[in-house]
Amino acid sequence: MTSQPLISRAWARARDTVSRRLFLDRQAAFWLNELDPLLSLTGVRARVVDVIDETPDTKSFVLHPNTAWRRHRAGQHTVIEVEIDGVRMRRCYSIASAPGHWPIAITVKRVPGGQVSSWLHDRVRPGQVVGLDQPAGDFVLPLRRPGKLLLLSGGSGITPVMSILRDLAARAALEDVVFVHHARSQAEVIFGAELRQLADRHAGLRLVVRTDDDPSGPPGFDESRLAKQVPDFGERSTYLCGPAPMMKRAEALWKSVGATQRLTQERFVAPVLATPLTGAGKDVRVTLLRSGRTVVAGGEGSLLDQLERAGERPANGCRMGICRTCTCRKTAGTVQNLITGEVSSAADEDIQLCISAPQSDLQLEL
Amino acid sequence: MTTTSIPLTHEQADAFGKELDALRLAVAADLGERDVRHIRWVIGTAHRSEAAGRVLLHIGVGPLSFLLGTSALALSKILENMEIGHNVMHGQYDWTGDPALASKRYEWDNVCPGDDWRHSHNYEHHTFTNVLGKDRDIGYMLLRVAPEQRWRPIHLTQPVAAAILALLFQWGVGMHDLRTDELLSGKQSPKQFYRRTRPFLRKAGWQLFKDYGFFPALALANAPRVALGNLLANGARNLWTFAVIFCGHFPEGVTMYHQDETAVESRGQWYVRQLNGSANIEGGRWFHIMTGHLSHQIEHHLFPDIPASRYPEMAPKVRELCARYGQSYCTGSFRRQLGSVAKRILRLALPGPSVQRLRDPISTAAAERTTPLRRAA
Repeated sequence: MTSQPLISRAWARARDTVSRRLFLDRQAAFWLNELDPLLSLTGVRARVVDVIDETPDTKSFVLHPNTAWRRHRAGQHTVIEVEIDGVRMRRCYSIASAPGHWPIAITVKRVPGGQVSSWLHDRVRPGQVVGLDQPAGDFVLPLRRPGKLLLLSGGSGITPVMSILRDLAARAALEDVVFVHHARSQAEVIFGAELRQLADRHAGLRLVVRTDDDPSGPPGFDESRLAKQVPDFGERSTYLCGPAPMMKRAEALWKSVGATQRLTQERFVAPVLATPLTGAGKDVRVTLLRSGRTVVAGGEGSLLDQLERAGERPANGCRMGICRTCTCRKTAGTVQNLITGEVSSAADEDIQLCISAPQSDLQLEL
Repeated sequence: MTTTSIPLTHEQADAFGKELDALRLAVAADLGERDVRHIRWVIGTAHRSEAAGRVLLHIGVGPLSFLLGTSALALSKILENMEIGHNVMHGQYDWTGDPALASKRYEWDNVCPGDDWRHSHNYEHHTFTNVLGKDRDIGYMLLRVAPEQRWRPIHLTQPVAAAILALLFQWGVGMHDLRTDELLSGKQSPKQFYRRTRPFLRKAGWQLFKDYGFFPALALANAPRVALGNLLANGARNLWTFAVIFCGHFPEGVTMYHQDETAVESRGQWYVRQLNGSANIEGGRWFHIMTGHLSHQIEHHLFPDIPASRYPEMAPKVRELCARYGQSYCTGSFRRQLGSVAKRILRLALPGPSVQRLRDPISTAAAERTTPLRRAA
């Protein structure tokens, strides 16, 4: 916004205020949606164009975003928003397609018990419309492509590096690229056929695929095997994405050869917060994102009581879970609902402070 | 049918509360696509009705299109005020995560600012329901609607005041949280009052501009017709909402409470007060939707943040619970409930005989000496 001149910013603000105060924004949203669910003045929506089976538990979803979509850089991710039984849910997925390719595609692995991945696999059909966030993320090549590249992945971590690989192929820039991938079996190598085709066609691409059922060595990521197969790994600009244990080991290996600055990582799972506590009363750290403070809460009572004892004054009303005045967004951490007993660790959920008790360190939009 | 409720002991009230909690949990767990589809259908109907109404008013000529246009507009305003606005702002659809249904951000199409409403209604009225001196909805600090309220000479004018309030109800609601009564009694300083008026004046200003400036201007030659249509549609919405809302807590058979009775209250006892302080109106499906399900005022006060379209299916269970715990369930036809309220407004305009206090369902002292609960059949 700072790049826009003062006048146009003031005009945009005035226009927004008028449309809001006259309820024209609501009208516009409704009638646009009636016309075509893809249309929106406020956000990115995308129509599902195709659903492709990659492996028995992985599907690619080809999406056609509306005009609000900003072109992504290879390796970035988006957030898909779907409505499951009335509830809007959001999940982050790497964009697997290259930036020059249209429409875009994400590749989703079915997570056992996962609500969104199951719903995507079982219920989404071409023609349906989903919500998207603008692409984001730093897991991208610099503008001047590094001379020696190593793309290192495991399982569904292949998605962001595949985007980088496809982009390099499209730009005819596949020189001195080593692609190392780990999977449980040949059948579970996502994009397996495409990888072999690219390796055949491009002499500059060296493909190393390692499966767990290969008896010639230990399953999964192995430091000495990697050192043997890619002796100059410490000199290559490396892009790493895979299961947490693999990433931890790889990170340690890179550190041991002093090559950490050449390693770029993409995490799918947020770092684990303090282990959830059982039983009330234990002290927890609550980070208040809006005020910038971090307080230590604990002891008897609800989160509201605990915050007040720590000196905070969150908005509240009936203090019994009815009037919703104390509703606030929890961006991270685990709470227990004191009325239903339900425990929830969901990121980005609204909670009522007066009927919640902390079960771990928390982040709140307060 | 107005039988008096049996006073409940602490244990009985707790058991009563637990059964209601279980009912609430069962419905809350069942919420899903069907509820979202319902509210979106109502929203769609309101939008379509508004569009039809405005088109008829803007480009039509003659009395028929005027009548139809105004009616369609009134329907959309009523739906937006009742089934959509009131229920969304209660947080009944917060569980969906849909920003258009987020309670804290919703603004409704009348002169009352959303934040003021959320404070005076969601918090004050629903927490202190029917507690004299704390629930400012009792007579809206203007009318004497219960014999427990002390008579003052100004009440002689209340039949007229009630009629004016009915016609201009959105203004009464809009100014309710300005707490003018507290300014006059000295409890609120002029400085605080002035600060409170800012959001109201902004909202009211925009509403007046929208209804009597912007939309009429769009209609060019038809401007006066559009302005009049908007005025009448607003008036119709005012009358309807006034009638429905006044039937919620003021008909014969509803209990008022004193502050000393409710100073210390368990969750079960809170439920008992909500039940005895509310009254339902009988009707069909469309009537319920037009009232925003405030025809189920009892269920609404027991479960304010459960989507209102669920109240009709919860009502039989609530009634059964009331029968078992000896609690009165105040309900009647629209005509009966409204007539009861009108009679009260007229009768209580005059200084009555000494205050007639209904049996207090909460007082434990009264409960200890009374009858055991009727066993379930």
